[in-house]
Amino acid sequence: MIRNQEESADAALMARPAALQIVDQLFADDPVILTLGGTIREMLAIAGRKPNHLYVLDAMGLPAAIGLGVALGIAENDRHESVLVIEGDGSTLMGFSALSTIGYLHPRKLILLILDNGVYLATGGQPTAARSTDFVGVARACGWANAVDVESTPAALREALQAARTTDGPTLLRMAITTATIPTDFFLEDPVLLAHDFSRWLRGAAE
Amino acid sequence: MVEAAADPRSAAVIAAIEEIAPRWILHLPSSTLKTVVGHFLARDGQDGLRIVPIPREEEGIGILSGLALTGTPALMIIQDNGIGNLLTALNTFPQPAHLPLLVLVTRRGGLGEYNSLIHTFSEHSEAILDAAGVRWFGLDSKTPIAEWATTIVRAEQFARITHRPIFVLINLMNG
Repeated sequence: MIRNQEESADAALMARPAALQIVDQLFADDPVILTLGGTIREMLAIAGRKPNHLYVLDAMGLPAAIGLGVALGIAENDRHESVLVIEGDGSTLMGFSALSTIGYLHPRKLILLILDNGVYLATGGQPTAARSTDFVGVARACGWANAVDVESTPAALREALQAARTTDGPTLLRMAITTATIPTDFFLEDPVLLAHDFSRWLRGAAE
Repeated sequence: MVEAAADPRSAAVIAAIEEIAPRWILHLPSSTLKTVVGHFLARDGQDGLRIVPIPREEEGIGILSGLALTGTPALMIIQDNGIGNLLTALNTFPQPAHLPLLVLVTRRGGLGEYNSLIHTFSEHSEAILDAAGVRWFGLDSKTPIAEWATTIVRAEQFARITHRPIFVLINLMNG
């Protein structure tokens, strides 16, 4: 959906921390891949450090491709119903080609949630091209099984995520959010430990 | 099984990949790779193997990383003029996270090259990888053909043993 008049009324939209809280509640035992510093720090403030969360600290544009790899790797594993990738609009645009490859490979367990605030928030709020980009239309054109613009309310997000978990994907959910943030600390843990903990949890749960 | 028509170098690369037995092969387009890629395209879907075209090298690094996190055997085949596309992705996720990836890279721009432009980047491939801290091994006309397949298989083992991405630079142009 191209950003519209209603979405410009920023105050009426959900903020990212509230969306992340719903994600953590609904995907407590599924792999969740989180994009970059701001989203990661807010999720840590809300949920704490969790083994089912992969913290992609600095690889902007890569989470969707990483999620695709994870979804392919667990395709025949009955213990995980889904892989959820939390992306921003800017990072999605940086790795846009992955949307085509995902449509081509059609991983049925992959869910991509784009929390679209229209800016590169962590670097000072510079605008992205999201305001003129129809993410849902792109996903449909690339052959995704499902692509939905989600109303920016807790109930609508919860319903969309629950539906995505129980429907064969790949599924793209795009939801407009405000640019409001919460105070967070820097997250300076060793990337080796972050990847190792997630991989061990993923494989342990698979055995 | 490798078709009899394959040149010895491509046949060695094919034999090595078959011994490694990846579940997923990601590849970029390449004229020098057409024998290798064609061999596996003809077997796509057989014995659990999938070979997938990808549009960008950095996307391949992301997919390989996700597969590595699940412990699924996989590799990517690219040309060296695509190395520049993947360096940031490589050094912001799998390299610092110590994920074992195998990337087979065909050389361009040297003896036997027919493109007047490609050497501008390709001749610096080794230096660029060195500067980026990427461990690589090379196969070219100075390497006995009998060692090619073994080197590629050992490189895959080395990636897992040393917990990092490993590149193998392969000259299929007799250079």
